[in-house]
Amino acid sequence: MPEVKSIFREVLPKQGQLSMEDVPTMVLCKPKLLPLKSVTLEKLEKMQMEAQEAVKQQELAMKEQSQ
Amino acid sequence: MEVTMDPLFLAWSYSRRRKLQQCSDICTKILQDNPYDQAAWSLKTRALTEMVYIDEIEVDQEGIAEMMLDESSIAQVARPGTSLRLPGTSQGGGPTPAVRPMTQSGRPITGFVRPSTQSGRPGTMEQAIKTPRTASTARPVTSASGRFIRLGTASMLTNPEGPFINLSRLNLAKYSQKPSLSRTLFEYIFHHENDVKNALDLAAQATEHAQFKDWWWKVQLGKCYYRLGLYREAEKQFRSALNHQEVVDTYLYLSKVYQRLDQPITALNLFKQGLDHFPGEVTLLTGIARIHEEMNNISSATEYYKDVLKQDNTHVEAIACIGSNHFYTDQPEIALRFYRRLLQMGVYNCQLYNNLGLCCFYAQQYDMTLSSFERALALVDNDEEMADVWYNIGHVAVGIGDLTLAYQCFKLALAFNNDHAEAYNNLAVLELRKGRIEQSKAFLQTAASLAPHMYEPHFNLSILSEKIGDLQSSYTAAQKSEDAFPEHVDTQQLLKQLRQHFAVL
Repeated sequence: MPEVKSIFREVLPKQGQLSMEDVPTMVLCKPKLLPLKSVTLEKLEKMQMEAQEAVKQQELAMKEQSQ
Repeated sequence: MEVTMDPLFLAWSYSRRRKLQQCSDICTKILQDNPYDQAAWSLKTRALTEMVYIDEIEVDQEGIAEMMLDESSIAQVARPGTSLRLPGTSQGGGPTPAVRPMTQSGRPITGFVRPSTQSGRPGTMEQAIKTPRTASTARPVTSASGRFIRLGTASMLTNPEGPFINLSRLNLAKYSQKPSLSRTLFEYIFHHENDVKNALDLAAQATEHAQFKDWWWKVQLGKCYYRLGLYREAEKQFRSALNHQEVVDTYLYLSKVYQRLDQPITALNLFKQGLDHFPGEVTLLTGIARIHEEMNNISSATEYYKDVLKQDNTHVEAIACIGSNHFYTDQPEIALRFYRRLLQMGVYNCQLYNNLGLCCFYAQQYDMTLSSFERALALVDNDEEMADVWYNIGHVAVGIGDLTLAYQCFKLALAFNNDHAEAYNNLAVLELRKGRIEQSKAFLQTAASLAPHMYEPHFNLSILSEKIGDLQSSYTAAQKSEDAFPEHVDTQQLLKQLRQHFAVL
């Protein structure tokens, strides 16, 4: 590939200050470590699930009886 | 001839082996034959209590009613550093929201959830109602007793012939005279039936019978008053119980009262008093660490968690909190060691593998990252956890530059949890990279309305609006971002720029 001779010469300043424009960029939300659950909380949740299941099953049984 | 075991002995043995249902069944049979068998009756009450027993010290749920109609706090606007309700006043140099995500109540997310950390205090009624109902953020309940009542009615529903003990027909005065029965009966009423009023009656009569000298009954009275929201009365009972007998539990209950009255400094002093009597007691040290953490003083919380680990090096809460603190202070490799320790101890759940995956990725141990996340996905319990895991995988994808994968991950997070504000925000950023401005804006607006406590969606919306020339909405969004995170430099610069613009006009 033949090299195209540019009419512009690059300028690299050897002295003086380097300035840069600070462009605000969008930010991502941060990665989220998941908190571990305490034993009490796990038990509470388990009990609540079981209670809900039991109620559901009883309601089902009631429905079947009434039919 | 087959030799059968004495049924009561068998029931007792079942109870010791925690086969509570069998124990209760045998007791029921004994009671059918002889309704006046006190031993069987007492054992059955104990078995039924044990089935639904939860540690009263840990349980602390504040409902909307308690939060908004709070009359017990001393000052509505407390001085900084003296209240649990002003989480913004950080003195410990904790991580800013720029590195550590916040919960709804404006606290950095912790490494460990307990029932009480779930219900953070929202600032306004509107916020309280709007709070999304996920395990990881604040979750209001309509009333503190809501969960207890639901559990109580469920336990009755499963008994077709009605409750075991009919409380309304019980002669409490008679039982309060019998110390051997009254205690099991009290625990049954308190934990199984959740009938605090009757429990209080029984405790009051029993403590009278004991001539106000029994510390145990005083603690129970205090527990009842606490549940009823009479904190000053509860405080009196616990104090009086401590005069009779120094017990660690009483210190913990009393500190719960002070935390509810929003007096963290008093609670801290109380814990220190307790530590004088019980040097190196782990629960007291943990209590101190929790208060520091709730007051956003993360560095001293970590110090106390380290003290906890010196006493008990398998303390899950301390390890998890120190680990997450290391992760968010830019030391993922040290966090990784803490989480690995948890894994060694036998903790085996989705949260731990998710955290391991993240730590591995940021500590540049790429070989373990994806396999950890795979395990986390396999161990997921519910949709919210699934969403969180996919959200974190999305971050890994962003980190390795695979934006298509990242896009898919965030979409999956949203498929599992439609209220995942962080995923909306990150998806918006990816959409903007693809040049879809309208889509990006819609996502950001959704994220901002779902989680007004996060600064990211407001800030991003502000930048986006500024780019497309809508300076007015850019300014309002930037102001919201400043409210959520006042120290954010980029927001301040943007605001300054916008004000200059407006001044020129």
